[in-house]
Amino acid sequence: MGGDGRVRVLSVIDALAAGGAEQVAVDVANTLDRERFAPYFCATREGGPLVERLHSDVHLDILGRRATWDVAKLIEFGRKVRQDGIQIIHSHGRGTLKFVAAAKLLGLVDVPHVYHDHFGWLHTDRQASTALRLAFRSGVDAYMGVDSRLCAWASSTAQIPSDRVHLVHSGVDLDRFEGSTPRDLRQEYDLPADAVVFVMVANFRSPKDHPTLFRAMHLLPDDVRSRMYVLICGATDADPEYFAGCTAMIERLDLASHVRIIGPQSDIPGLLGGADAAVMSSKNETGPLVVLEYMASGLPFVATDTGEITAAVRDSCVGLVPAPRDHVDVADALSALLRMPESERRAMGARGREEVRRRFDQRIVTARIEAVYEDLLGSARDGQTFPAAEVVAGTTTLSEPDLQY
Amino acid sequence: MPDEPHPTSPWRSSRAGLTISVALCTWNGSRWLGEMLRSLEHQERLPDELVVQDDASTDDTARLVEEFSQRAPFPVKLEVNPVRIGSTRNFAAALERCTGHVIALADQDDIWYPAKLARLAEEFSADPTVTMAFSNADLVDEQSRPLHRRLWQTRRVDRILRNHAVVPAELFARRPLTTGCTMAVRRRAIDAALPFPSALADDESPMRHDRWISLVAAAVGTVRALPEPLLAFRVHPSQETGVLIGTQLTRALARAALRAVAGPPGANSGTHRARAAQLVEASRRADDLGDFKEAAILRQISALHSERIDNGSNLRDRVGAVVTCARGGAYDLSARGAGSLVADAFRAIRPRPAVDPEPPRTPMRVR
Repeated sequence: MGGDGRVRVLSVIDALAAGGAEQVAVDVANTLDRERFAPYFCATREGGPLVERLHSDVHLDILGRRATWDVAKLIEFGRKVRQDGIQIIHSHGRGTLKFVAAAKLLGLVDVPHVYHDHFGWLHTDRQASTALRLAFRSGVDAYMGVDSRLCAWASSTAQIPSDRVHLVHSGVDLDRFEGSTPRDLRQEYDLPADAVVFVMVANFRSPKDHPTLFRAMHLLPDDVRSRMYVLICGATDADPEYFAGCTAMIERLDLASHVRIIGPQSDIPGLLGGADAAVMSSKNETGPLVVLEYMASGLPFVATDTGEITAAVRDSCVGLVPAPRDHVDVADALSALLRMPESERRAMGARGREEVRRRFDQRIVTARIEAVYEDLLGSARDGQTFPAAEVVAGTTTLSEPDLQY
Repeated sequence: MPDEPHPTSPWRSSRAGLTISVALCTWNGSRWLGEMLRSLEHQERLPDELVVQDDASTDDTARLVEEFSQRAPFPVKLEVNPVRIGSTRNFAAALERCTGHVIALADQDDIWYPAKLARLAEEFSADPTVTMAFSNADLVDEQSRPLHRRLWQTRRVDRILRNHAVVPAELFARRPLTTGCTMAVRRRAIDAALPFPSALADDESPMRHDRWISLVAAAVGTVRALPEPLLAFRVHPSQETGVLIGTQLTRALARAALRAVAGPPGANSGTHRARAAQLVEASRRADDLGDFKEAAILRQISALHSERIDNGSNLRDRVGAVVTCARGGAYDLSARGAGSLVADAFRAIRPRPAVDPEPPRTPMRVR
């Protein structure tokens, strides 16, 4: 324990750029029970727009690591962990995992390490490299997957003992959305008064599959498409080849007047608050957190059926859930949403807001993470192996009722 | 509010639930067709339809299918081609007629194990990004007696497929890894693969429909290789997709190696030219669907095939081309890849017979 009796938890991530994993890391740190936990945060490479979203009582360090194996920063990291009296390290993302695991293997840190996996490329990459296996075997004390497929992969392919594998779906910090000021998007982007303004929050990376949205819009009947305007918010520099392909496709399908790429935005709640609807056309997601943000903003949505959050709300009448990568199905869903009376769309959005409060509040999720921390600390104190926590996942996909928090 | 039932959704995805079509192509297959149809009837998860495309058989094939349609526990849709069009075009015709979300390809002479469709369907239901799943198969002889060998081992692709739970397009671009009857493909991958491009029908180096579909399916989605055998694959002399066993395979490989090393300059150029064209076409399909990275990889491999076309250049350029290809990854890290590299290098440095200077052209007469 720290001097004040609270457990010091250090969240570690590469950067505080806009992204799902980064947002989860921030939300967890912000919502830890302050009576029992003292949150610390370390961005091993750089800061970013999410720095502003960290609560002021979260101690932040930015290491400025330049390479994967930056020995000087590794030593500095170990020193900070010891100086701050950190008792739990909670890392996010595979680059950070290896960094922290290396620090543990080298004896630079000696506290339990929880790894939180948000890996979104399982549809193309199910290998576990030797480095990753070594990191899991010797440098990780508990694995948290945001998706049961990840947990199954962790147990079977990465061979992490199943009693160290925990399924923890993502939640959303509702405080971010309460009382946000909606932006006037029609005025800001010079859109017609009768436009139905969709927002899509998705960095330009191939799992987000923007092309399926573009192909779907191209299929819409003229009278429907003419009312639809999409503002795409997200980083454009993560995959330049993909971004170039997307912009070429927008031109080729003659969608330039209906699709605006507005780049990364710091005020997501305000942006979503000013929209009429939202869309997500990802091919693969292990959340997706953004659907929770759409729901928290009271927006009806069209979101492809990928990830367990979408699956959990598929039948709740809070949005339309077409098949991923299927532009015909996405077009059909968009068309249905656009033809809906405004009152019906609003009612759908209101149901979404209620649903997210009831089932996906970050506090519920954070409580489960805290239980894992306490198990680890209890084990460390007793010198035992780590017991199965309440939220241990097996290697099978969870059924629908299991998805309810 | 929490306890109130949700209102009925105003919209439901037309893709909800998974329907499966079986596309069966036949041609003079009456000898083994009955056994194949019975195995379909005994599937734990029955297909939602059987689409049969008969390529103008002259035996009892069509009658057997019609009889089966009377008792089959699922709709059977038979169409007979007026004239023979060959297996690739026949499969294209069958695939066009299928209405299922997933289409399982079938050959007339195999025997499907009862769990086959259920197991394949599982893959598609579990992961919507899966565009294709295929399995291993047990080999049986003409009398359905087990040969105690499996298809992947016989084709020498076992290790590569076991190491790739998800098979990338790049691997399909390098070598054929699948056989149609082991495959089930999601409709949207079939839509991307159709129409089959004319480049598949190259005289010197055709690409079969199953390899083409695998290539496109991997370029536009996720392809899963299932190591368990889900059918008995019949080995017989009259089959179109044969397997070579034991000494047959060794002899065929030796012949190919000899041709590669000792053949005339440019002996393999036709193959490389055809492959380059086929891969460019696959990359175009991937580009159209927004799979830009996969499209770029296929274009790269296509360019390496173009580089390997012997265009009669001088020694330095020929050696340079081999080096470029080696550095670009044209030869995979296997005995096969190493063999290709040695053969290409040998051909590049081998002295060429003197070529007669081109005869002067007769000036064109203008009337």
